[in-house]
Amino acid sequence: MNWIADAVKAGKTALNEYEAKRFLEGFGIPVNREMFVPDGEKAVKAACDLGYPVVLKATGEHLQHKTELGAVALNLKSEGEIREEARRLLAIADCEGLLVQEMVKGDRELVCGLTRDAQFGPCVMFGLGGIFTELIDDAVFRMAPITTAEALRMMEDIRTAKILQAFRGQAPVDREALARIIVAVGEIGCQYENVREIDINPIKVRRDGSLVAVDALVTIQAKASGVRP
Amino acid sequence: MKETLVPFFEPRSVAIIGASAVSGKPGHEVIKNILDNGYTGKLYPVNPKGGKILGVDVLSSIASLPRDVDVAVIILPAGATAQALRECADQGIRHFVLSSGGFAEVDEAGARIQEEIVRIVREKDLKVLGPNTSGHTSTPQGFTSTFFPQGKIRRGRVSYIAQTGNFGTHTLKYIMTGECFGVARVVGLGNKVGLDETDALEYLGNDPETSAILIYIESFKRPLRFLEVAREVTRRKPVVLLKSGATEAGRQAAMAHTAAMASPDRIVEGMLRQAGVVRILDYTHLILAGKAFSMLPLPTGNGVSFLAPSGAMLTTLSDFCDRLGLHVPPMEPDTVQRLQDISPSYIRMRNPVDIWPAAIATGVEFAYREGMEIVLKDPAVNAVVPVMMLTRESGVPDPAFIVDLAKKYPTKPILVTFSGAKECMDEYKAALEPKGVPTFQEIEQPFEVLSIMVRCSQAINRPL
Repeated sequence: MNWIADAVKAGKTALNEYEAKRFLEGFGIPVNREMFVPDGEKAVKAACDLGYPVVLKATGEHLQHKTELGAVALNLKSEGEIREEARRLLAIADCEGLLVQEMVKGDRELVCGLTRDAQFGPCVMFGLGGIFTELIDDAVFRMAPITTAEALRMMEDIRTAKILQAFRGQAPVDREALARIIVAVGEIGCQYENVREIDINPIKVRRDGSLVAVDALVTIQAKASGVRP
Repeated sequence: MKETLVPFFEPRSVAIIGASAVSGKPGHEVIKNILDNGYTGKLYPVNPKGGKILGVDVLSSIASLPRDVDVAVIILPAGATAQALRECADQGIRHFVLSSGGFAEVDEAGARIQEEIVRIVREKDLKVLGPNTSGHTSTPQGFTSTFFPQGKIRRGRVSYIAQTGNFGTHTLKYIMTGECFGVARVVGLGNKVGLDETDALEYLGNDPETSAILIYIESFKRPLRFLEVAREVTRRKPVVLLKSGATEAGRQAAMAHTAAMASPDRIVEGMLRQAGVVRILDYTHLILAGKAFSMLPLPTGNGVSFLAPSGAMLTTLSDFCDRLGLHVPPMEPDTVQRLQDISPSYIRMRNPVDIWPAAIATGVEFAYREGMEIVLKDPAVNAVVPVMMLTRESGVPDPAFIVDLAKKYPTKPILVTFSGAKECMDEYKAALEPKGVPTFQEIEQPFEVLSIMVRCSQAINRPL
């Protein structure tokens, strides 16, 4: 499946979250288990397969800031809760369907993303993620492509680098795995000129230090602009 | 690329288009500079009036130039530059310095002339520095294309690339008159229609005359190529860069957090980290770091010891080191004991070293000399900063002992700073710097410079 070419052909400005995760998964980026369903009944069935508790999200090309739109329902523990939330989410404008996701536990949240600078071309960001990403504003950039050694240096360069160490009884972050994500995002930036931006935010750190992306945004540009001098 | 820039830096023959017999005019001063610097290649001033300028025969036209001219310096009004460039190219000249201003940096008309220059450069495959450049200097060849009255430019082993006319003129003037170190090459980039920072960096990276490179830049013309070149050069030589003007231009309206957080300055910062280039934030550090690179080895680690005559300095400078990423390490028991041996017992000796009670007890020279040597021997110490307290009343020791220590411990940089009488500081500077020991007027400066050197050392030794 060629997510990007199809999206360009369809005139889309972004992949929806489900598509974005499938695309990123293709590059070895770990993503949470999830199912894309059209309605509440299918959501209930999906929750049985995934195991409770679950997260329910309204998903669509134009639903990019889901928290602000109230398009996320966390920690749902029963069929009743799922049906009720599904009704509410499906009523949100631009909702294309529901995403039923496993609830991932872990206190630490990281972000990795791609942007295109008019002069510097594709650049990869790594930093502290979560809902306070822009507020805390702790991130570093590199020009793509990025080597593994460079990705490891990025981890040292953020102000809160200590969060990657063992933290409140939780294991240190798997730096090799994190480096693979950062390197992969750079690769995408170099290979897919129609990918305009990527946000993988948050990348959750599980208690054992392993990583999983629980939300992702991939925006699309029809015209490739990433030409580098 | 190195080969193509050799004629710029090692020209065997030079033409000055727009030579002038009138003292003070750029077309005159450039010839005076070239003669003052002892250039031994052939020099061909060109002016329709002919005659002699400063004793050099003047050719009356570009067409009468011989075919073997390596570089032409064109010092004509912007409007006449394109025509002269064409004529020179027809004479087989391929390397140019376009000194005049009045191009894209000024107005629309200037921008149109610059576009024409770009067309000629492409069409005839020319190598061009400028326009709007203060020229370039190459001391091993005794050559300069600058028209700013410089006199003899001291030879040294650091090189500068500057996208500002100020550096090759007034800053260089200051270095030549206020400092003791010299330069290998200086390149004023100007409007960068041809030669850019990456070309210059590539040349200097391979230049045996250049042991450290300092750059002032406003914008990167080819960021990716710069990254590729710098990545290699920074494994061999220190490369220090000051970038001005973090503008918001070219920024896209962003849907994603990543784009919203991608300030141009942050992207530059990231690229420089990737490249192993050490970014500095102060113009003055271009000079001070240049001085240090000229005289000192790079420290092998960030451990610093300093000797100060005051408690206030000991504490504030310790805090300062901390902010700069320098480590003031505890010293070995043996080192501490030896320090204690030269000091009155009421002082608890450690790093940093409270030296003045020892100076009162044993004499200023003895205390500083012994104290410095003791800390230089400690394995945790990679560099030493003596804060010399100098007044006539307390006695001014012969600074030769510092030179001796620098020679005896050649792998550990010694950077000298002062407290006390200005005239004594100046005496020390005049005595120490020609012998390769740098001095710094303000007590924070040696630490700032040291932190730049430590970062360079880390960049050179960084993992692949």
